[in-house]
Amino acid sequence: MKKEDTVKLISAEGFEFVIDKNAAMVSQTIRNMLTSPGGFAETEHREVTFPEISTTILEKICQYFYWSLQYARLGVQIVQIALSAL
Amino acid sequence: MNCSNQKKRSFNIEAFKHKVVVDPNYADKTWRLLEHAIDEIYNKNASGLSFEELYRNAYNMVLHKYGEKLYTGLVSTMTSHLVTMSRCIENAHGEMFLEELNSKWADHNKALQMIRDILMYMDRSYVHGSQKTPVHELGLNLWRDNVIYVTGIQSRLQNIVLQLIHKERTGQIINQGLMRNIIKMLSDLGPSVYQVNFERPFLEASGDFYSIESREFIECCDCGDYLQKAERRLNEEIDRVSHYLDAKSEVKITNVVEKEMIANHMTRLVHMEDSGLVNMIIDDKYEDLKRFYNLFHRVPNGLSTIREVMMSYSRETGMQLVTDPEKLKDPVEFVQCLLNKKDKYDKIITLAFNNDKSFQNALNSSFEFFINRNPRSPEFISLFVDDKLRKGLKGVGEDDVEVVLDKVMMMFRFLHEKDVFEKYYKQHLAKRLLSGKDVSDDAERSLILKLKTECGYQFTSKLEGMFTDMKTSQDTNDGFYLKHGADLGDGPSLVVQVLTTGSWPTQPSATCNLPAELTSLCDKFRSYYLGTHSGRRLSWQTNMGTADIKANFGTGQKHELTVSTYQMCVLMLFNNAERLTYKELEQATEIPSLDLKRCLQSMACVKGKNVLKKEPMSKDIGEDDVFSVNDKFSSKFFKVRIGTVVAQKETEPEKHETRQRVEEDRKPQIEAAIVRIMKARRVLDHNNVITEVIKQLQPRFLANPSEIKKRIESLIERDFLERDGSDRKLYQYLA
Repeated sequence: MKKEDTVKLISAEGFEFVIDKNAAMVSQTIRNMLTSPGGFAETEHREVTFPEISTTILEKICQYFYWSLQYARLGVQIVQIALSAL
Repeated sequence: MNCSNQKKRSFNIEAFKHKVVVDPNYADKTWRLLEHAIDEIYNKNASGLSFEELYRNAYNMVLHKYGEKLYTGLVSTMTSHLVTMSRCIENAHGEMFLEELNSKWADHNKALQMIRDILMYMDRSYVHGSQKTPVHELGLNLWRDNVIYVTGIQSRLQNIVLQLIHKERTGQIINQGLMRNIIKMLSDLGPSVYQVNFERPFLEASGDFYSIESREFIECCDCGDYLQKAERRLNEEIDRVSHYLDAKSEVKITNVVEKEMIANHMTRLVHMEDSGLVNMIIDDKYEDLKRFYNLFHRVPNGLSTIREVMMSYSRETGMQLVTDPEKLKDPVEFVQCLLNKKDKYDKIITLAFNNDKSFQNALNSSFEFFINRNPRSPEFISLFVDDKLRKGLKGVGEDDVEVVLDKVMMMFRFLHEKDVFEKYYKQHLAKRLLSGKDVSDDAERSLILKLKTECGYQFTSKLEGMFTDMKTSQDTNDGFYLKHGADLGDGPSLVVQVLTTGSWPTQPSATCNLPAELTSLCDKFRSYYLGTHSGRRLSWQTNMGTADIKANFGTGQKHELTVSTYQMCVLMLFNNAERLTYKELEQATEIPSLDLKRCLQSMACVKGKNVLKKEPMSKDIGEDDVFSVNDKFSSKFFKVRIGTVVAQKETEPEKHETRQRVEEDRKPQIEAAIVRIMKARRVLDHNNVITEVIKQLQPRFLANPSEIKKRIESLIERDFLERDGSDRKLYQYLA
């Protein structure tokens, strides 16, 4: 994966999660952070620190991003079936 | 999990314990942090900030119920920044004013977006919950109140913008991009801001501008120029809207231009001397007329004004044409003029007036009006057709023939007195068929077909009968010669057309003594015909025949003369006599005097056709005039036609007679219509009877109410109808 397509999410403990940009954009907040017109630090370095989110939570969040992308196109029923499997 | 030997522990799910906020100044501290961030954003210094941190802080504030503090803080910070900005703008001079305004607006927008992103959580929860304005809208409102509505800025902005537009209208170039941004700013601030601060004053100023300009132009320009200028201004305004105004303003500004430049000067333009609508029509100025149409189309009553003028002008010129005695001398010329006129207007309507149906209808009604003002129109149209069918169509392609005939049909449709046309057409057709010349059969039949489609079978049944008679006669002739050909040998040959009395125009048959050579031939034919068709009566129509005679003149000249039957009888007499007086001729031939005089005149008094000499050499025929063969007769041609019976414009007495016959024919038609109507309705009052009768007879002629009344009286006398006992205005049908 190219560097331009990735974003780094850093947890409270300092764990770094490098994920695909599209996955990160699932979150409206992160999307705003990265696309905000102003010159915020995040936009410059493509790194977002979450001092109040623990590693385990952040890991689950990243998994959710990917899962959401994967099933975004499919219908609601399939989503429900997948949910129970998770 | 292996829990067989362990004590079961129950899980308690405890509430997630957040860091307890004990710091009383927490809210203030957080707010100050955010306030600082907002300041930095406005100072374009945001690169050092962490989005995440700011977001988190805002989030926490809202979470801990400090949303209100955050909101009010935001309002006051933003306001103070905007006040600073507006002072900057106010201080800008002249040209820089708009530039400054534009750049500050761009800055504010950018900052606003960033702030909104950070405060998104507040937007979604606090704002939503407490019905406050969302951040973005808040930002716009604050801008509006603190910058645009500042007295110094508001009026200055309006003036400068209007000035620039005025500049552009007088031909100077302005910065359209800058204008677009400024105007967009106004429309982003809300429709009311746009309208109050820009659109309304803009429309007003435009109205004044165009009102002045139009008054200037109309004094010095002619109609075509003025219209061009108006069109140009209109297009300019449309461009202006597309370049830097809000699309919704397009209709409004075009209305203003239309009103000032066109609607206010409508009558003056149309009636402008030497260049107005009428002149354009006369000169076929299609471009100008098209512009007229397009511009007036946009204005209420514009098209109807044009239509009125066109209609009245065409009516006027039409009436001139129809009452001009010069033009009326030559019927063919007259009808050709009518056709040319119609073509001219049709072209104008197609090319310039967009084929507008209402204009077509107006034109048709004015044509109908003046064509029927000339009572001889039906006769003239029939003569025109006659002329075309006799000689005008040689060498003309098949399609062109159709075109001419269609045009004739169009004229026919305008006629009110179609039965008069029928009468004349029958007469002229009879002459054409009997003249012995080649008739363009296809064209004739095509026209009959068109008439049938237009008026129904009734109209054309007799005409078709005439054609059938011609065909049958040819067969009869062939049969006659087949049977008796051998007997006749070298004698004169006879071509007979047997005409069914009902189909052909009736003429009283006159007396005429045929020369001996012919009487036996005629009798032979008569017996042959009656042999095959018993129960019929034949009478010779000597006034309609023609004869080809070979003549040997004294100078040794030989000619073949084509003459009428009467003329033939006269000439044959000179085989046995040198000189004959008028009286002798009259006695011998028993031809009616008027006809005899006419045929003698054409043989003795017309240069180039004077096969007879008359003493004295006067134009008129006197009782004692003496006639002899003109041995000195000469002509370039071998075959000479003398006085053939050709369709002509009727003389006064003839016209009178035809008109009388038409009136007579109409009486039974009116009566039949009355009876039909009464039979269906049983009881009907006088006025309704009249209306219904007129309506029914309209395809043939315009019935005269007083004539209808007379017919009703006559029907009452003959017990077809009766007056109602109680109401004298009601009629009842008597079965």
